[in-house]
Amino acid sequence: MEPATQTVSLKPNDASRQTERTYKFSDLIAPPAVRERWEKVRKYFFLRESTYDMSNRCNIRCNGCYYYEGEKQFTQERRDPAAWRSLMRSEKARGITYVVLAGAEPSLVPDLCQVCFDEMPLGAIATNGLKRIPDAINYKIHISVWGNDETSFKIRNARNMLQRQVENYKSDPRAVWVYTFTRHNIAEAPQVVRTLARNQCKVTFNIFSAPVGYAGDLSHTAKSLQSTRKVMAELLDQYPEHVLYSHYNIMAHTHTQGLHALFGCSYPRQNPSTDIGLGRSFRQYRTDLSWDRSAACCVPDTDCVDCRHYAAGSAVVTARLYRHAVDPETFQSWLDYVDTYLAVWVMEYQKGANLISKPVPPPGFDLPPS
Amino acid sequence: MPREVDSIIVRIAEIMISELKLEDVTPEGFNPDMDLVDEVGIDSMDLATVALVLRDEYSVRIDEDDYPKLTNIRLIAEYLHGKMAA
Repeated sequence: MEPATQTVSLKPNDASRQTERTYKFSDLIAPPAVRERWEKVRKYFFLRESTYDMSNRCNIRCNGCYYYEGEKQFTQERRDPAAWRSLMRSEKARGITYVVLAGAEPSLVPDLCQVCFDEMPLGAIATNGLKRIPDAINYKIHISVWGNDETSFKIRNARNMLQRQVENYKSDPRAVWVYTFTRHNIAEAPQVVRTLARNQCKVTFNIFSAPVGYAGDLSHTAKSLQSTRKVMAELLDQYPEHVLYSHYNIMAHTHTQGLHALFGCSYPRQNPSTDIGLGRSFRQYRTDLSWDRSAACCVPDTDCVDCRHYAAGSAVVTARLYRHAVDPETFQSWLDYVDTYLAVWVMEYQKGANLISKPVPPPGFDLPPS
Repeated sequence: MPREVDSIIVRIAEIMISELKLEDVTPEGFNPDMDLVDEVGIDSMDLATVALVLRDEYSVRIDEDDYPKLTNIRLIAEYLHGKMAA
């Protein structure tokens, strides 16, 4: 592939002007495998998400839980299915096509989840996996894992957590385990992923991102991010059929800079524009069905500077198509990221093999130290 | 300038119809003042796709920060025309 033009651009990480090739978009999507992937992912550009706290109750209490930070935990529950049905209809009317049912524990209100599914067929549920969600609710189910069972007992006060999650969701095509790397559970990930792979379960990765004012010891350091990066790459190479991730995911989520610094968060909390995109359509509803634009993002009480959350990245990195269409490696890395996002979040979507097998820096930034 | 902008408007309409697979509309019949978000139903990913095709055709970068200003085809055409003239 030949570069179409040669331009000079100013990179944000370097005040000096650097010479940089610019590729035509038509050249970037010319290779058949790339075009095929582009056509595959762009079919889902219609997805417009919002998120919903379903209940103010949970059957466990975890150190660093987003739900029980801030004031939303004190919101009253709206338990009337008719009110939820009406909300879903009005959401559809304003263009929402995808729902994320989260906090505190949606599996405790299956009737409300069912109403959401009946009205909005695409979505995901974030759950601790201890109570099985009925099969009729055909959303992706994200099951949180925070280390091995010993660690889970220590920070989540739940015994045999992984075993119980696997018993509930083994062979369930809806289920994706989400392993959250904290500063202290990095070495446990291989053991957990091995168990999941042995049970034919799919797993993706998250990075603990501290809530505002968090004073616990789970937050990452540059060194723990580096260790996480190494373990993620090993697991991705070792379990390509079970680990839903890419090298660009690893880079984007373990970089010393957070997602907002790297990509510019497009959720309303950091984005004042109401004209287009997430700034226009995204809402985060509390259990009483109210919402507040100033707090609206997928993890509302996260410290934005520390945010490397998998759900945030799924929207923030994906939205930055234009800036990734600069050269073949950067664009194909972005395609790998979007392919991963869709496999994690959309029922029936099958992840392809990653196009890029090495870390590529985000546009305008360097790779973090290896 | 108006004639140049008019020809860019028609080309943008052609690209939008083709890239976004819009139905029941022709380039000539595409109202250039129609709000792309509210009335056509396109969103940021659609606009980014169109912006990349326009970048190929006119060698003009449409800055991501400028998307919110580009709410109809006429504004996009004037934006491109302004950048080409600069």
